[in-house]
Amino acid sequence: MEIERLERIKKTTAIHLAMEAKETLKKITEDFPDNPDAMGYFYSLFHKFCTDRGMLNSSKKLIGTMCLQVPYELIYAAGAVPVRLCSGAYAYDQIGAEFMPTKSCSLVKATLGMLNVNQSQYIDLLDVVVIPTTCDQKKKTSDMLKDKGFRIYNLEMPSVKDTEEGRLYWQRSVKKFALTLQKVTGQKITKRRLVESIKKISRARSEFRRLYNLRKQSPVSIWGKDVFLVTNAYFFDDIERWTDALTKLNNELEGRISEGISVANRHAPRILFVGSPVIFPNLKLPILIEQSGGIIVTDEVCSSSRLLYDFVTFDEANLYDMIPAVADRYLKPCTCPCFVKNEDRKRKLKEMVKEFGVDGVIYQAFSGCHLYEMEHKAVGAMLETDGIPMLYIETDYSPEDTGQLSTRIEAFMESLKARRRNRG
Amino acid sequence: MKRIKQFVYNSDINRFRFYFQIFAFGLLMYGGYLAIDISSNLPTFACPFVGKGRGGTCYLYPLQHQVNMPLAQFISGRGLSLLTGLVTFILLFILFNKAWCGFACPLGTIQDWITKLRSKLGTRYSTYSEGAFKGLKNIKYILLALLILLTMGMSNAVPGIGKLSEDFMTPYCMICPGRTVLPIFNGDIKQLVVDFSSKTKLTLTALGMAVTGAFVVGAFAKKRFFCLFCPMSALQYIFSKIGLLRLIKDGPKCTKCGNCYRVCDVGIKEIADDVVNRNIVQDDCMMCFKCVAACPEEKCLDVRFLGMPVYRSTEKGFFKRMEGKGKNGN
Repeated sequence: MEIERLERIKKTTAIHLAMEAKETLKKITEDFPDNPDAMGYFYSLFHKFCTDRGMLNSSKKLIGTMCLQVPYELIYAAGAVPVRLCSGAYAYDQIGAEFMPTKSCSLVKATLGMLNVNQSQYIDLLDVVVIPTTCDQKKKTSDMLKDKGFRIYNLEMPSVKDTEEGRLYWQRSVKKFALTLQKVTGQKITKRRLVESIKKISRARSEFRRLYNLRKQSPVSIWGKDVFLVTNAYFFDDIERWTDALTKLNNELEGRISEGISVANRHAPRILFVGSPVIFPNLKLPILIEQSGGIIVTDEVCSSSRLLYDFVTFDEANLYDMIPAVADRYLKPCTCPCFVKNEDRKRKLKEMVKEFGVDGVIYQAFSGCHLYEMEHKAVGAMLETDGIPMLYIETDYSPEDTGQLSTRIEAFMESLKARRRNRG
Repeated sequence: MKRIKQFVYNSDINRFRFYFQIFAFGLLMYGGYLAIDISSNLPTFACPFVGKGRGGTCYLYPLQHQVNMPLAQFISGRGLSLLTGLVTFILLFILFNKAWCGFACPLGTIQDWITKLRSKLGTRYSTYSEGAFKGLKNIKYILLALLILLTMGMSNAVPGIGKLSEDFMTPYCMICPGRTVLPIFNGDIKQLVVDFSSKTKLTLTALGMAVTGAFVVGAFAKKRFFCLFCPMSALQYIFSKIGLLRLIKDGPKCTKCGNCYRVCDVGIKEIADDVVNRNIVQDDCMMCFKCVAACPEEKCLDVRFLGMPVYRSTEKGFFKRMEGKGKNGN
């Protein structure tokens, strides 16, 4: 009886997911002019998103990860492949709602829902699921998944990142994780392999930086919704293939810039997108923003810029130096609101506003994501002193509020345009 | 011009420093044979005990002689020689600021070589806890005060003790590893002895031998171990703020990723955490600029000479240096 019910739910969820993904893709590709040719790779990647094994496709051992604090360098060095499980699907969100309190974050619910509904395959596919101890909701999903039979590894994180104590605790935690990985994959993390994997990821990140910097320019050569697809693909795509595809895209964008081609109107307000992450297929807000005449020039969300911006560096090519170096990369520059003090996030936003010539900030908070909800006042106040308007939007994965949101966003865009005109 | 600048910024200062250190080592240790004598008030360890080969003299040596005079004479002709020595020292120092330590000091260079050897052997380095570090770094100021006060005590009676014995001559040199280690490179091992001629000499030379041992062992365990205690570094830091060569940090650009702190041989945390001050040179800084090479933010760390940029952190440079890592044991 129960098995039958699960199978039925699984089938209908798959259909819903496919519809959702298709609809988002249709908007992304058809509602906007001037999509770069090199985006084709990413579009087709997401077309495949909901077929057969979906994003879990590798001949190597798969390590499921959540959040962005899991050191991918170590996973590659141990001969496995990481896949980030954080889900943006409303179809899964509805399944996850069954296990979580009503007022919880869509992202956590969707991730939980995805793993639950696909448990029969995913438990076999994922050798281990790594959950860093970030927010309370992520922490608590660990046990729920363990009960379903998933192999869970909790990567212990300090809640303060500025102190030396926190840093050393994290370094120890990452070292323990490295030892566990070796056991899971049966492959030793050697000096040579770790250097190689650090470089492999560095190449990907430096290509991302290129894209990041290209967006500082005016005219704007790419829509924000496309960039979110690119960074979302990093969650599950083969890293070298991803880097190559991004190189092609960057080359094309450079060409566009030199030809003076702009995707958006010259007067389109330049938007900085912050807050809860944008994960395919939930591109509700970015699409609404760009349909309303704005252009997202940069973001500070954990599914995009925050995920890829920073680099690892080490002093001595020995494991005793490289593993702590990798650990530092995932703690020190991280601006996740799960930390007690988060001045760095505000500083980062301030600098982004300046560097990208931002006209306005849009702050997305998933209802139930207390951390982002709680930090929004401080961020808003800081921006206000700098004279940058911010629109705070509390939403979730459901499409129900689209109409209401589009009115608010359009009004915000109009006010930004008016400000621009008044300034000259 | 722009091209040359880009080339310099994207280059690897660590490699340049490696070769420059060899050059400076040769100059300060063997320059004398080519009749080179840069100055006898050098703001770096160029040890007079090296003998004829040395290409200059460490300022601490004349300083310890010059302050050895009665207080009354400080405002006489002898006081003037102290003043000219000090002025020469300051002028030479502010020219390159603390880069004297990172690029020229022979003792620093030897420590860097020992570190390279350790890294090649794959032996882990040790680190200080934050508290221990804060305590230890004050020792150099105590040493600096002692080397001046003890020598002054030889010409001025201290109430209750009287004048100190002449055996206290150049007390710091007696315990400095420069005196024992550097002459070895000129084939002279005569300094590696304990002098039993008087109690004071016995104490000082025995201490000197102990420090020498600690210098070698310490350098193997901890990068630039001795520099934390160096009184020259303490003396230099007094004038560091007026240095012509500067390390500037653009705080808002910093993401606090800590890469600079990671690679810092002397463990300066402020380089990563201080996002307010622009002049970021701390007392232990040796201006090796490894931090600049490790910084992935465009123009966040900036080396300037008289306000002109000399070396700077760039994204491209960072990535280029990253690609070169792990090869040839770097």
